[in-house]
Amino acid sequence: MCLVALASPINCVETDLTADFRDQFLLCYQHMLLARVLEEKLGSLYRAGGRIVGGVYLGKGQEAFSAALGVQLRKGKDIYGPLIRDQAGRIAFGEPILDCVRTYLGAVTGPMRGRDGNIHRGRPKEGLLAMISHLGSLLSVVAGGLFARRLAGTLGDSIGATSIGDGGTSTGAFHEALNMAAVEKLPIVVSVANNQYAYSTPNTRQYACENLVDRAVGYGVSGMVVDATDLASCLKAFRAAVAQARSGGGPQMIVGTLLRLAGHGEHDDASYIPDQKRRDPSARDCLQVAEDFARDHGWMSSAELRDFNEEVRRTVDLTISKVSKEPTPDPFKEKWQALSCADLVEGQHEA
Amino acid sequence: MSITYLEAIREAQYEALRHDPSVFLYGQDIATFGGAFKATKNLSKEFPNRVFDAPISEDAMVGMAIGAAVEGARPIIEMQFADFSSVGFNQIVNQAATLYWRTNVPCPITIRMPSGGTAGSGPFHSQSMEAIYSHYPGLVIVAPATVEDAYWMLLDSVKLNDPVIYCEHKFLYYHLKAEQIGDRELPIGKARIARPGRHATIVTYSAMVHEALRAAEELQLDGYQIEVVDLRSVKPMDTDTILASVARTGRLLALGEAFPWGGVTAEVIARVTSEGFHLLDAPPMRLNSKDTPIPYHPNLWKSHRPTTSTIAAALRRLLRY
Amino acid sequence: MRTIPILMPQLGESIAEATILRILVKPGQAVEAGSDLFEVETNKAAMAVTAPCAGTIGHIVATTQTSYAVGSTLAAFEVTEENAQSLGLGAEAQKPEASAAPRTGNAQVENLHFKIDDNDVISTRQPTVEPVVGGLPVPAGATGASYISPRMRARMLELGLNASDLAGVPGTGAGGRVTVEDFEAFLRALEQHRMTPASPMRIAVADSMRRSWTRPLATVGSPVMLDALLAHRKKADPKPGPALYAIRALALALAENTAFAGRLVGNRIVHPLAIDIGFAVEVDDGVMVPTLREVEKTPLVKLVPTYNKLVEQARARRLPNDVNRPGIATVTNFGTFGIVWATPIPLPEQNLVLGLGAGSKVPHWSDEVKQFIPVTEAELTLSFDHRVLDGGGAGRLLKRVAELLQKPELL
Repeated sequence: MCLVALASPINCVETDLTADFRDQFLLCYQHMLLARVLEEKLGSLYRAGGRIVGGVYLGKGQEAFSAALGVQLRKGKDIYGPLIRDQAGRIAFGEPILDCVRTYLGAVTGPMRGRDGNIHRGRPKEGLLAMISHLGSLLSVVAGGLFARRLAGTLGDSIGATSIGDGGTSTGAFHEALNMAAVEKLPIVVSVANNQYAYSTPNTRQYACENLVDRAVGYGVSGMVVDATDLASCLKAFRAAVAQARSGGGPQMIVGTLLRLAGHGEHDDASYIPDQKRRDPSARDCLQVAEDFARDHGWMSSAELRDFNEEVRRTVDLTISKVSKEPTPDPFKEKWQALSCADLVEGQHEA
Repeated sequence: MSITYLEAIREAQYEALRHDPSVFLYGQDIATFGGAFKATKNLSKEFPNRVFDAPISEDAMVGMAIGAAVEGARPIIEMQFADFSSVGFNQIVNQAATLYWRTNVPCPITIRMPSGGTAGSGPFHSQSMEAIYSHYPGLVIVAPATVEDAYWMLLDSVKLNDPVIYCEHKFLYYHLKAEQIGDRELPIGKARIARPGRHATIVTYSAMVHEALRAAEELQLDGYQIEVVDLRSVKPMDTDTILASVARTGRLLALGEAFPWGGVTAEVIARVTSEGFHLLDAPPMRLNSKDTPIPYHPNLWKSHRPTTSTIAAALRRLLRY
Repeated sequence: MRTIPILMPQLGESIAEATILRILVKPGQAVEAGSDLFEVETNKAAMAVTAPCAGTIGHIVATTQTSYAVGSTLAAFEVTEENAQSLGLGAEAQKPEASAAPRTGNAQVENLHFKIDDNDVISTRQPTVEPVVGGLPVPAGATGASYISPRMRARMLELGLNASDLAGVPGTGAGGRVTVEDFEAFLRALEQHRMTPASPMRIAVADSMRRSWTRPLATVGSPVMLDALLAHRKKADPKPGPALYAIRALALALAENTAFAGRLVGNRIVHPLAIDIGFAVEVDDGVMVPTLREVEKTPLVKLVPTYNKLVEQARARRLPNDVNRPGIATVTNFGTFGIVWATPIPLPEQNLVLGLGAGSKVPHWSDEVKQFIPVTEAELTLSFDHRVLDGGGAGRLLKRVAELLQKPELL
């Protein structure tokens, strides 16, 4: 295996634009738009107060990078461990937006049943892991799933994928897990969204290497950098990485360069990001870039775009109004039981 | 033929691997080398591709086990020393312990923790971690004190659909022997009366059970019959058996090798005072190690942890009340 | 040879522990039977612990100025097998090899992370450092039954016993407290006696008196001449009993200042609402206290029918239920039993009890006729809650009652 870490970005060229590529591009665009509209709606619900308790964390500006990975994965076969800003990737993987809205609104009908909220959701038995807040700790879990399948002889060509940010790469957990995944040569794709700020901390206070992708060689994994504002380039990069992983190439690391176009959460106005940074090419809105690309290549007309936009908004509104009527958890009906073995649950010491 | 506590642990892993193809072992130096204490000796030979050396990455080891459990495996993780599990602490208490409650997917992993002090092991190879894990909901914590329990409770832990912290005491590894492994007598969650008595109850677990039994022998010379309760599993804690014992004796000494602040002995006393206040004829008493890191030199170490004679002294004070 | 323990002996009834004053022997020293080994001191006396038979002193556990419970091991003692058996210790039992930790030495197996050294690990030596334990402070100044453990409380509650029932139980616990074992032994000892159930009346009186006794009660007394009263009574129709005179006199005295009958609750005096006076009537196995209402408002003679009716009702145990308005003081005519002087206990909800002793003829110096004349005199007592009244106040109230009794026409 030839290990490379490409510090110069992967770029999409005309010869990449096959019909299959075009279909995947358009699919991604739809996921991105749905994610953007859904998150804007959640943001306004949050600001209106009342329904959403806790925070709202947006992936604005990261939809292309997220969806381009998610769309490569096959629900039911691959294992996906999305992170905070992966709404688009989740949709691309096949998570219904009902799961998202139900979790944000704390509906008992959702996968987390009001026990956990917002982006801390998943359906592990369907290959969608539910992140915990401790960054870097999901990578070893994804690796463990693949490890178990390999032992059981059920791995086939399934892969695992997970996301992290520039800040998350500083954790010991990330280091331990990527090293272990590399030692075990597991088919895993790690996307690193380098959005330049970990909450408010800039890259200069986060790492000292020239480019995060330089680390890949140190772990013994392949690495690539991509302009994460450009969906076409992201698709090209992830298609290559996923193919490598599926064919036994071991862990793959893709570093996407972009700028977070929102605060860390909706409570954060991101005033620490200087204006100059907002005019940088990395601050382009990936959704607009993708829309322009599709229109320029004649893949989508303005009318189609408009119709699709309206349909997405209707879907989001319908979902939110449906979930708003659903029941929230009742502490008296809650099974206060942290163990699955009911016979080991200690007598509850009520006050 | 006789079998040590350590061999029982190895045998239990052998049985688990033999009976259930979803079981695998992951830990540092456990494959060819057979583990720092030889608890997995020859298992990688007997079960090729089921026993794996791990990098020195306790966080990743536990995370990996969790991911494997989601996929239906039943991994056994060996921490080389319980002390090092602090590096994997986050995965244990935040990922493994919350998984079932958050997602309804059980997390059947067993983490073996060589625990407790031995002479000369010092601050970082002697710790008892059961209290700290017991604090977190979603974990089962067991601490076998006998060869039988070492064997059966490890097998039971692997079968359990929840994460189990299996605290095995390093001192008992070679010092505790049985003629053979007897029948499985009690399930996880039930305590054992290790010695019946009527003047005072010692509630303890793991290696301290044996120190307590010796102290009880010593007190017998003075005409006292001391009851010793072996908790076996720290969490869930068998409050009923503890209360029944205190009902017989009226006096309680909670004994543990771990640090004194909070912890298992505090929990025992909290439960007895809140649920069995009317049973107490003397203030309940605690005996733990000292509230300092665990010292290296045997002169210091022997005075740091409870011993037969300090337990006997504590009992005399308790009985004098 | 075998080793037996020298134990702290039972040094007397209800002695739980003793302090070592001096150690009179050294390890290795051979001693004869009866030799003094330790000088010890209990809270009653100093005495010696002696050798039970001839032998050699082994390890000495005890240290001076330390207190040891009865039965504690003070030292090891090497004796011959015969001597041991003659002490009733029987043949040496097979030493139970602790099932735990057989001392195997196969530690030198490959690459072990720690060295196994049995001797290092299992210490049978005395602790060099005190164990880390929470203290068990003996309740300060606790003696006898004054400290009751939670278990004792629960057990007593179960049996319906009170702290006062433990008064005769010798305690062997810290500070002489009664342990549950002492208590159970006491209960077992009681089983040897003939026991009959106390009547409900007895239990009610006991309960009432026990509650009342929680207060600091005091009694003052003074003689009163009854000749005027007796003369008055001879002419009266219907005839009031001596107790009724006393009731009326007390009522009038209290009407002048009700604060005498106040009760202290917290830091406030609770004043009576009305001058209702009770009086003790002896009934089978107890005492009943009917109450006359607003006694100061009704002249003596008019009280007689009500008084007589209440006495009848009390004897028949058919008193009206007046728990909501108990009397403010009680009069007891213990003179009817021929008693001259007593210190009756006020009811728990009252501050005062006025007692009337038996009258007798005594010589009395008359300034008028300059000679002794015979008069009928009785002692009048007033028992009171000293928190509310002092001797002076109680004395003034008693004097006023006496004054009124000597002027029965005012009643």
